[in-house]
Amino acid sequence: MAAILEAKNIKKYFKTPKGTLHAVDGVSFSIEEGKTLGVVGESGCGKSTLGRVLVHLLERTDGQILFEGKDISDLTKADLKNVRQNMQMIFQDPFASLNPRQSVSEIIAEPLQIYRRVSSKADLEKQVLELMDTVGLARRLANSYPHELDGGRRQRIGVARALALNPKFIVCDEPVSALDVSIQAQILNLMQDLQEERNLTYLFITHNLSVVKHISDEILVMYLGKMVELASDKDIFLNRLHPYTKALLAAVPLPVYGTEKKKRQLLRGELSSPINPKPGCRFAARCPYAKEQCHQKEPALEEIMPKHFVACHFAREINGI
Amino acid sequence: MAEPILEVRNLTVEYTSGKSIVQAVNHLSFTLERGEALGLVGETGAGKTTTALSIMQLITSPPGRIKSGEIIFEGRDLTKLSQSELRKLRGEKISMIFQDPMTALNPVITVGDQICEVIHLHEKVSRLEATQRAKKMLEMVGIPGERYSDYPHQFSGGMKQRVIIAIALARNPSLLIADEPTTALDVTIQAQVLEMIERIIKELKTTLILITHDLGVVADICDKAAIMYAGEIVEYGTLDHIYNHTMHPYSIGLFGSIPNFNEDVRRLKPIKGLMPDPTNLPKGCSFCLRCPDCQDRCTKEKFSPVEVAPGHIVRCVKYIND
Amino acid sequence: MPEKTQAEIVIKKQSQMKEIMGRFAKNKMAILSLGVIVLLILMAIFAEQIAPYGPDDQDLSRQFTYPCKEFLFGTDDYGRDILSRLIYGSRYSLAVGLISVSFSCLAGVVLGCIAGFYGQLADNIIMRIVDVVLAIPNILLALSIAAALGPGLGNLIVAVGIGAIPGYARIVRASILSVKQMEYIEAARSIGASDFRLIVKHILPNCLAPIIVQATMSIAIAILSAASLSFLGLGITPPTPEWGSMLSAGRAYIRDFWPVVTFPGIMIMITVFAFNILGDGLRDALDPKLKV
Repeated sequence: MAAILEAKNIKKYFKTPKGTLHAVDGVSFSIEEGKTLGVVGESGCGKSTLGRVLVHLLERTDGQILFEGKDISDLTKADLKNVRQNMQMIFQDPFASLNPRQSVSEIIAEPLQIYRRVSSKADLEKQVLELMDTVGLARRLANSYPHELDGGRRQRIGVARALALNPKFIVCDEPVSALDVSIQAQILNLMQDLQEERNLTYLFITHNLSVVKHISDEILVMYLGKMVELASDKDIFLNRLHPYTKALLAAVPLPVYGTEKKKRQLLRGELSSPINPKPGCRFAARCPYAKEQCHQKEPALEEIMPKHFVACHFAREINGI
Repeated sequence: MAEPILEVRNLTVEYTSGKSIVQAVNHLSFTLERGEALGLVGETGAGKTTTALSIMQLITSPPGRIKSGEIIFEGRDLTKLSQSELRKLRGEKISMIFQDPMTALNPVITVGDQICEVIHLHEKVSRLEATQRAKKMLEMVGIPGERYSDYPHQFSGGMKQRVIIAIALARNPSLLIADEPTTALDVTIQAQVLEMIERIIKELKTTLILITHDLGVVADICDKAAIMYAGEIVEYGTLDHIYNHTMHPYSIGLFGSIPNFNEDVRRLKPIKGLMPDPTNLPKGCSFCLRCPDCQDRCTKEKFSPVEVAPGHIVRCVKYIND
Repeated sequence: MPEKTQAEIVIKKQSQMKEIMGRFAKNKMAILSLGVIVLLILMAIFAEQIAPYGPDDQDLSRQFTYPCKEFLFGTDDYGRDILSRLIYGSRYSLAVGLISVSFSCLAGVVLGCIAGFYGQLADNIIMRIVDVVLAIPNILLALSIAAALGPGLGNLIVAVGIGAIPGYARIVRASILSVKQMEYIEAARSIGASDFRLIVKHILPNCLAPIIVQATMSIAIAILSAASLSFLGLGITPPTPEWGSMLSAGRAYIRDFWPVVTFPGIMIMITVFAFNILGDGLRDALDPKLKV
């Protein structure tokens, strides 16, 4: 199957008073149509920036973005407007991502109005109500305002707005992180159903590893702007090749009891700063396997097992491959 | 069996907002033995934090009010103590850690002095001794003593949470209440902080109440767990009870909502519906509207908790034998 | 709850006015001040009907009458009825307040929007000019403009208005900067909204509260500055019964005959006070987060 979205060596730097912040530093991947790529990493790893660069909410510093084979790296305003019909975004915070002065129906109607996808007022109303049905919002809420609703319902509004233009690709930036677990499960199910019905492609950004495991077909692990591992979701959970992935997955407290208590594998120290990073592997300072070479030379992304990419000098030795 | 350190009996807390009354905690009872770690689990609005604030006697009134119930801590009913007695107790015997490490520290005082302050408040010690003890506390939570005179902004989130824990434990309290202590932290940092909390409470024999929405964190460091829903404890027991013999439909739903790390499930099994409106709770079981096993009588009467196995308490009609 | 059928559901264009009004109505002081303002406006409109005498009717035989049945507020040095002059004067004072504020508000919002939304060079240029204007004491600025333009109602409005523009520009810019950070602005951009739509539909409605509050408060300030300018002889000149110029004219008799200065002073005070309280009340009512 053809890749619907391809990112090649995406870089995004920010100028700050302290120096250049390397938020995203050379990330490449491709997503097939109808699949989900999960992007995981801890705060400050650049995963949200990556998502925003892809949908042109931020302009990249370097690299290339291909959508359905066409280069969409540099776009005029009109082209961008065109492309956005097929690329939408769902935001993290269902409290902040909805305009408090707009009613539910106004929020959902806005993309339809901007793209003149409606013929009349009645048509608009019909489409808005249908979208509300699709995401499981009761029609009687059409005239409510966001602050009258709970987090789960607000996030459904966000999903409806993203779906309004019938896009092919949606960047989901931590869409369930602000929700309670029982509501989170409802939204995850909704998103999976929609994906099946409409053959949607997701880029699913989250820090929650259980969620990313659940929803993704492929997983990309990021650390301080760099991609450290990319593989199918089963592969990454069975064969964690990069030392950071190992530590990250081992750190997740599991809601199970009785199996003999695993010894925590603790990482030393904390994230270093992504401003003017030192040469070498960015994870070296915390890596239990780091050697001299790691502090000097940056590891390249290598296909160590079929379709399993890792950026580590010693990936083979550590894992005995 | 160890003696109980804390016994909460029939605690009911209300908040008034405008004309409506929010029932934040309803007839809550539990017992905690010395040295135990209890996980208080529930979703937003379940009344976890209100329970903790009631134990600290920090419910702001108005709008809050402890309507009824007793909180017996080391033989004394906290609801009947005077303000000055309570002040002595807080920090000295009971400490609390709040969720947000970013705002809980005073930005213009060095972290060392913030720890010293707690020591000075409760004890007459020389400046030198207090400083030394503060340094010791810092080292205990894994921060080098030389960072005594650093200011909070020089620390990262995880380090700040360590400082807060050091402050909470400076007087070696017998009960520590931690309200979502790791929610704001990244997983690898969370693992470090949890490891540290576990080590210290073992070392100091502190009793712990850990408030969280994360069943994984509870499984990691607690001995017992209480599942809260709409101001009530719906299930209470050891981790084995809660995780391996889950009984209450809400607890079952909660476990079904969490994507499983080790198995592949195509679809999650969420709990249908939403939390009930706390100003207008159902007359019967508060979970009845969302319960897959709801019976006719669930909507009409409130059930008392049933002890289904020694130490495993469930509040659900399914386990009532009559 | 049974769902309504499709036919029954009508998407209404329903504003949040009702909610805001409800919150406003709970504030007794604000309602009272609104009442006072409405009275003042009615007084200005129906001055001919209400005022017992004309504003310029002189009766030199009845100079300096203390308040009595015939002249409720007394008469001034030309024997004119102070009450009638105050009633006619409300026209000028309110006109100056309302028109100059609308003028400066409009200009300030446009400048603030450009500076806040586009940032960089535009922001730098606009805000530096604003800083310069703000560095000049307000009354001095109004004074020099009024002096340059000469007396008269229109010129007074311009003089008072220009000094107020920087205040709006700053407030609008600051609130745009904070609203611009919100995720819903990003969300609107991601559905392809144009800059104009972003500003008008998403940003400005969320900055309205501080603008409205500033506007009501500055009506009070504008009335005061207009009164001050007239008092200094640079605004509306006698015999027009503007409150400030009435004060100015009565200045000479301050020690000997209190009604000439006291009543215009009280009128100015009541008006300014009412607008300030109204501004406070509006601020509380407009903030949806304050909803309990």
